[in-house]
Amino acid sequence: MAYSAEISRANPSCFMFLIDQSGSMGDAFGAGEGNQKKADGVADAINRLLQNLVLKCARDEGIRDFFHVGVIGYGVQVGPAFSGALAGRQLVPISEVGNSPARVEQRSKKVPDGAGGIVEQPVRFPVWFDPVANGGTPMSQALGQAKSILETWLSQHPNCFPPIVINITDGEASDGDPTGAADEIRKLQSSDGGVLLFNVHCSSQRAQPISFASTDAGLPDQFAQQLFRISSVLPPQMARLAQTEGFNATEGARGFVFNAGMVEVIKALDIGTRPSAMR
Amino acid sequence: MEIYAKDFFLPKRGNTEAEYDDSFSSAKDKTRFAVADGATEASFSREWAKQLVRAFTAKKLSIPIALDELKPLQSKWQKFVHRHPLPWYAEEKANTGAFAAFVGVEFLEDAQESLKIWRATAVGDSCLVQVRANEVIEAFPLAHSTSFGNRPNLLSSTPNSNESIAEFVMQCGGFWRCEDAFFLMTDALACWFFQELEQGNKPWTILRDLDTQGSVSFQKFIDDLRFEGRIKNDDATLMRIDIMP
Repeated sequence: MAYSAEISRANPSCFMFLIDQSGSMGDAFGAGEGNQKKADGVADAINRLLQNLVLKCARDEGIRDFFHVGVIGYGVQVGPAFSGALAGRQLVPISEVGNSPARVEQRSKKVPDGAGGIVEQPVRFPVWFDPVANGGTPMSQALGQAKSILETWLSQHPNCFPPIVINITDGEASDGDPTGAADEIRKLQSSDGGVLLFNVHCSSQRAQPISFASTDAGLPDQFAQQLFRISSVLPPQMARLAQTEGFNATEGARGFVFNAGMVEVIKALDIGTRPSAMR
Repeated sequence: MEIYAKDFFLPKRGNTEAEYDDSFSSAKDKTRFAVADGATEASFSREWAKQLVRAFTAKKLSIPIALDELKPLQSKWQKFVHRHPLPWYAEEKANTGAFAAFVGVEFLEDAQESLKIWRATAVGDSCLVQVRANEVIEAFPLAHSTSFGNRPNLLSSTPNSNESIAEFVMQCGGFWRCEDAFFLMTDALACWFFQELEQGNKPWTILRDLDTQGSVSFQKFIDDLRFEGRIKNDDATLMRIDIMP
């Protein structure tokens, strides 16, 4: 059965985030987040995702290298987008990610006080990725760069749980139709299945959020429809997981989220980043 | 009549013994036995599982377990975890707490009344099976292979995470007699046991003979099951309790 490979230190998997850093990411979200800039919301989401990934792999003795992680930004330029000590690195073992945030900020979160109330608790919020909003949207180039990194990864890890590529954008590629570059990524394979390409579309339109649709009917514009079409169909295990998290992921649901609030995006991405058992 | 117990354990394939997150314990007077399965995705679960089984066999936990009795163990766990400064991720994991499934059994004997009673308590998917005269006469708290899911109810090392666990603290009891055998198992082995039972096999005959002369070792037995895909690659723990004449 595809997408069932055990993820272990001996057989790690890989995540690749592609982040739109174009000028339009400086605009506000269309849904749910008040006047927050898309670039700020996406940076928070990526940092939270990286944090969740590190926590999934943390054990008593430290962080186990179940995953290697890459972050590619695309805007004025296309390339690795980690800030701080990891700047310039393409794929980084998750233990190094966990031990090398650019900085750790103090934030607060609301938690139950155990007596029916809510209290604010200070938490450490590690930051690896800073918001950028500048230049065009060279999405095809970014997909091409991800493909070449993943080809090398797959030649070294031929039996891994297939790598997952998560592209976060506000829509229109400025370097041509990304369909061909996306197809090339989805054609890459390990013995456990094809590389999964998920797309998160953060639009400034005031349109209804859509998560894990199985058809492009109802998507408001050609860019959303294009991103839907280049997204992988969710493997059945992930579709089931999405259902248990309350998403309406029917058969043929794709790894595509449109205009969701950042909380939804984090939930959706968590599904993409929670494959089978890690040992 | 004597109660004789033997324990067997094996970490997940690919993990070292230091990464084994189950735990087991026997009371010195051989009246109480327990196994616990620390949740691997949490941190410091091995320590939590160890504290639970030791507290039970030291009779510091009741049957059924009362949540208030966990408080001293939770404080002890907190002290253990924070004995050194922690990096951000370890601190975050420690705040979430450790989790464990648990099953413990006690054997009581009233010589005057000639009553031999056992009582057990469990949370989650670690199981007890009682075998008499070549038949399973009790399975607790689960009794079928399809009852094992990915999200069992677990005892937590943080009180906030235990708020709704009270309704999942199970208890069971019965009579014991000479030549009965009891098996305490963590989930992977228990699930295999019930699958075998459902296919009309007698899995206790294999467990009964493990590590005896001329029989297969626990390690080889589990390795073979894993190789054949008949058992989940998880920590495997067995306590075999025999009532000998």
